[in-house]
Amino acid sequence: MGLKDKYAIVGVGYTPQGRVPGRTALSFYVEACANAIKDAGLGRQDIDGLICYRHFQPASGEREVTPYVVAQQLGLAPKYLSQEANCARSQLHHALGVLEAGLCNYVVVAYADNALSSDRIPDETNPENSVFGQFGYPASYAMAARRAMHTFHTGPETWKMIAVGQRQWASLNPLAMMRDRPLTFENYYSSKWVVEPFRVSDCCLVSDGGRAYIVTSVERARDLSHQPAVIIGIGQHNPSSYIDQSTYMAGPTGAKIAGEMALKMAGINLEDIDACEIYDCFTYTVEVTLQDYGFFGLGEGQDWFKYGTITPGGRLPVNTSGGLLSEAYFMGLTPLTEAAMQLMGRCGDRQLGAKTNTKEPEIILCSDNGATLQTHSCTILRRF
Amino acid sequence: MAYEKPLPQPNADTRPFWDGCKEHQLRFQKCRDCGHVRWPPSIICPRCYSSEMEWMVASGEGKVYTFVVYHYAYHKAFENDLPYITAIVELEEGPHILTNIVGCSSDEVRCDMPVKVAWEDVTEEFSLPKFKPAQND
Repeated sequence: MGLKDKYAIVGVGYTPQGRVPGRTALSFYVEACANAIKDAGLGRQDIDGLICYRHFQPASGEREVTPYVVAQQLGLAPKYLSQEANCARSQLHHALGVLEAGLCNYVVVAYADNALSSDRIPDETNPENSVFGQFGYPASYAMAARRAMHTFHTGPETWKMIAVGQRQWASLNPLAMMRDRPLTFENYYSSKWVVEPFRVSDCCLVSDGGRAYIVTSVERARDLSHQPAVIIGIGQHNPSSYIDQSTYMAGPTGAKIAGEMALKMAGINLEDIDACEIYDCFTYTVEVTLQDYGFFGLGEGQDWFKYGTITPGGRLPVNTSGGLLSEAYFMGLTPLTEAAMQLMGRCGDRQLGAKTNTKEPEIILCSDNGATLQTHSCTILRRF
Repeated sequence: MAYEKPLPQPNADTRPFWDGCKEHQLRFQKCRDCGHVRWPPSIICPRCYSSEMEWMVASGEGKVYTFVVYHYAYHKAFENDLPYITAIVELEEGPHILTNIVGCSSDEVRCDMPVKVAWEDVTEEFSLPKFKPAQND
C-alpha cells in the first residue's frame, strides 16, 4: 500500500474533561470538533468528512448521538459521514479511504461522552452472561488477564509498573484527571478489587469530555497552523471471536498482524520507535499489546517494564498523557491525539525530549482496540 | 422467594439450548459434514460453511479455561453470593461456555482445573448449567 507519508493529523480538539456535570454528550462532540477545526487553522466550510466512534446508549433525556446531529450543530454538510456501530476501530482507515478516493479533503474524527456525570450504565449487557452474574468489560478483560497469568505467568507484579508509570506521566499533564493523585506500588496493591484479578488501578477512567482530530493530505497540511504528524503506517486485524470462545486471550491478539502491517508499510523496525501511545483500557491490555507487537517475548514483560522503562526518563515512554488509565477515556483518541501532539511538540511539561529526559520523538506507534481484544488498529506517525 | 437474578432470554437461535438445559442436557449444534461442535448457535458451520447440522448432547465435562472473582455486586441480586466466581469452561467437545464455578472457594479455582456440570433449577422454566470441581463426587 502506498499510503506512507501521504496523510497527516493536522489539528487536535480538546474540551473540558474529567468530571464536568450538567452537559450533554452531544455538547462535548460539538466542542471537540469545533476546537479541532480551529486548531488546524481551518473553517467549517473546509470540512467535508465527519467520522464518529460508536456511542453508548444516551443518558436519560438525551437523544442518541449520531454524526448527523453533530454535523448539524457544527454547520457542516459533509460528503462523507459515518459512525462505528460497535467496537471496530476503523475510523482512521475510513478517513484515509475517503481522502485517497478523492471524495474528501479534510476529515474530522471524534468521540465524546458524559459517562462520568450522566445517569446511565456505560456497558451493554449480554443476557447469556448476566444470568451468571457476568457484567461489563472489566470482567471480560479480567478473564483474558487471568488466562495470561496462567499461560505466561504475568500478573499484578507486571501490571503495577504500567499503572504507576502512566500515573507519573499524568502528573505532568494539567488536563489529566489523576494529575494530583500520585500512585505508588503500595497504593496499587491497596486499591480495591473491581473484578479479581483487576484492581481499580488496573482499570481505565470514566470521563466527561471529548476529543477530535483532523486528517488531511501532507500537501494540504503545509498551509495549516501546525507541523503535521505524518501517518507512515497503518494496520488492522480483527480476530472477531466472542471473547468466551477466544483462544487468544493470552495473545496473539489482533496487535500482532496489525503491528506487522503497520511496520511494513512504514518500512521501519521496532528499534525505530521512540515512544508508544497504547490503548490502555486495562493495564493488561498494554502488556499484551506491547508483547504482541514484539517489544518483548512471552512473559518477559515483568523484566522489560522494570526500572522505569515507560516512565518519564525511560527508554521507551508509553502513554505520555497518562492514557486512559490516568488522563481521560476517549477511546482510541486519547492515545492517537497524544502522539500527534507530541510530534507537533505541543505537550508542555510532558513533552518528550530534553524536558522529560527522553529521546526527541521522531516516530511514535499508537494502538486502538475494541470489544474484548476483538478488534485492533495500529498507527505509526512521524514528525514532519 | 422470587428469583431476582436475570433470567435467560432465549431467541430463535438459542431456544434449543435453553430447552435442553431444562432437561439437564447441554445441547450444541454439531456440523454433519466436518463434525465441528459450535457455540453460539449459527445457521452455518463457521469452519466449512455447511448448513447440515444436528443437536448433540455434551458430556458436561471440561476444564476451567479462565475465571474471575467478583468481590463487588454489579447487580443487587448477586450481593449474597459474594465473593462469587464466573468462569469460561472449555468443554470436552470443544465449545467454551460462560458459567459459574460452584462447590469450591475462589482460592481453590485454577485454570485447566477439571470440572463437571452442576445443574441449578432456578425457576420452573429455567435451569442453569453451572460447574463444580470434578473431584467433588
